[in-house]
Amino acid sequence: MDMEVSRSWREPELWVKALPSVILQTTCFLAPLVMTFLLTFQKTQNFQLNWTWNLATWTDVFSKPHYWTILGHTLAMAVACVVVCIVVAFPIAYGLATRFKRLDNEIKVLITFAFITDATLKTFGWVLFLDKKGAANYLLAHLGLPPDTVAFLFTDWATLLGMVYNLLPFAIFTIYLSIDNIDRSLILAAYDAGAGKFRAFWEVTLPLSRPGIWAGSVLIFLLGVGVFLEPKVLGGGKSPMSAELIRQTFETRVNWPLGAALTLVLMVVAIFVVLLFSRVAGMRRAGA
Amino acid sequence: MTAAPILSITDVHKSYGTYPALKGVSLDVRPGEFIALVGPSGCGKTTLLKQVAGFEDTTSGTIRIEGQDMAGVPAALRPTSMVFQKLALFPHMTVAQNIGFPLKLRKVAPNVIATRVDDMIRLMELKPEYLKRYPKALSGGEQQRVALARSMISSPKLLLLDEPLSALDVKLKKVLQAELKRLHRSVGVTFVHVTHDLEEAMMLADRICVMRAGKILQLGEPADIYYRPADPFVAGFIGETNLMPITITGHNADHVTYTSNEIVDMQGSLPAALVAADVGQGPALMNVRPELIRRCDRDADVDCKLAATVTEVFTKGGTVQYRARSKHGLELAIEIQGTSHLPMQLGEDVWLGWAKKDMWVLKPGEA
Repeated sequence: MDMEVSRSWREPELWVKALPSVILQTTCFLAPLVMTFLLTFQKTQNFQLNWTWNLATWTDVFSKPHYWTILGHTLAMAVACVVVCIVVAFPIAYGLATRFKRLDNEIKVLITFAFITDATLKTFGWVLFLDKKGAANYLLAHLGLPPDTVAFLFTDWATLLGMVYNLLPFAIFTIYLSIDNIDRSLILAAYDAGAGKFRAFWEVTLPLSRPGIWAGSVLIFLLGVGVFLEPKVLGGGKSPMSAELIRQTFETRVNWPLGAALTLVLMVVAIFVVLLFSRVAGMRRAGA
Repeated sequence: MTAAPILSITDVHKSYGTYPALKGVSLDVRPGEFIALVGPSGCGKTTLLKQVAGFEDTTSGTIRIEGQDMAGVPAALRPTSMVFQKLALFPHMTVAQNIGFPLKLRKVAPNVIATRVDDMIRLMELKPEYLKRYPKALSGGEQQRVALARSMISSPKLLLLDEPLSALDVKLKKVLQAELKRLHRSVGVTFVHVTHDLEEAMMLADRICVMRAGKILQLGEPADIYYRPADPFVAGFIGETNLMPITITGHNADHVTYTSNEIVDMQGSLPAALVAADVGQGPALMNVRPELIRRCDRDADVDCKLAATVTEVFTKGGTVQYRARSKHGLELAIEIQGTSHLPMQLGEDVWLGWAKKDMWVLKPGEA
């Protein structure tokens, strides 16, 4: 048995050592969560929070399909975003980790820049590009294509484009790291055993980059479930996603208990999906 | 000697950018031979192995395996198999999948693969219950055996070993060295073993190829390399030695005459067989291994002797090592089988002698 694992919590010094972390976790994570949970049993009247205990909010949440439609839409968008991000990011990450090894550092700086540029700015940039009289149509018209070729601004497709654009670096980074971690001699060993380039990729590179794919997927899914900027700016607010609904409930409708309940529902569902996902991933790895 | 070489390397050059890693290497390996490529880091031994395996293209020169030119033949299609320094076991495959991988790629039926894997497990003396485990769950020595099994399963013509034992502790290394030797004898495959560990090369190989700076310095049987090194570098690389400067004064068919201001030699000449072919008139080096030097009396009837003072004594369990300095400042190393009483004391003035048959004369050069 591992020494660390077998140490008992009865040892007082362990408590002392863990104390800073316990305090931090409690105040910054656990307490707000408990507060949110307690909030769902309260009521707001005349924009005032009434400290009364009841289940009205929860009955509301479970009786109105509207909330669940939005939740389903949110999950679908997040999953679509994950799929597109992984499919687009993998070749990029693979290229960076193998072919463009020499430009490695320069490209990493560029990706980091993509991270630190404000997402709001980039998202509004897309509006200018995708607009009916925007840059994309202007350029395409010059190539002889009919006007309004690009006409998907303020639809879910534009939202998805924005989400993919903003979250792609996460997938590139996680996948890049896992491919970069693969020992070069493993690939050589595959060649040596008789594998061609494609077979070596299929049998060795791809399975060994799976941790990066899983990590990137989870990250993008969780971030994707929480987006509100893209559906609002690029989707035109026509089909809001959960985060936007929650924001509205808190800010516009000033219904804090309902906002809190919707937050918890979103959290629980997202965590459930991630657990299900990791379960499947774990099973696949064990069976591989 | 007459058998056609299984591996024939002719004037191979390899450059990485402007850096020449191999500068014209030629080497013939006989079928069934165990050959060791040794040399310091950066001497080109691993580069040479990579050219043979087909992981890199040669800059110029030819590599033939069983007479067939390997130029343009990818690693996957060469009849070679490599055991990597870091073993390169696939972490996402079980031991059975790792060992069977080369056969799976050759589209061998699963039941045939299973039988062959069982054969390999038995050959490598691995426990059958390991088959379902992942490589990480095995010890270093067991992983080594799995790597060997994976390399042997496709019955390669040439097994290339790239310092696979270098990461192991001394005890395990000894066990696996014996294992390699046994494996080589039992399967009859030609082994090309790269190592920087000379002792390992001496122990395992039929012939040793000493490399330095992209060139082969000497190729020969272990005893040749050890007792009859081609140059001071080989002499010093292959264990500790004594190189004593002498001056060659004359040659004839079977004798070479020489002078030395240190060495007392009644005859003043050596049998020509003990002198390297490239040694001419003038300065040369007399090579005598530390374990072949003995303490003797002033008047003893020994071929060669010299007077020196003992400067250091190291007791190394089975043997005792001494350092001594002659009156002209020549530093000597002497190794004597351990006895309960030391034959020489620190600071003692002694006579040291050796037999002519135990020495070798070579040309001075870069050590």
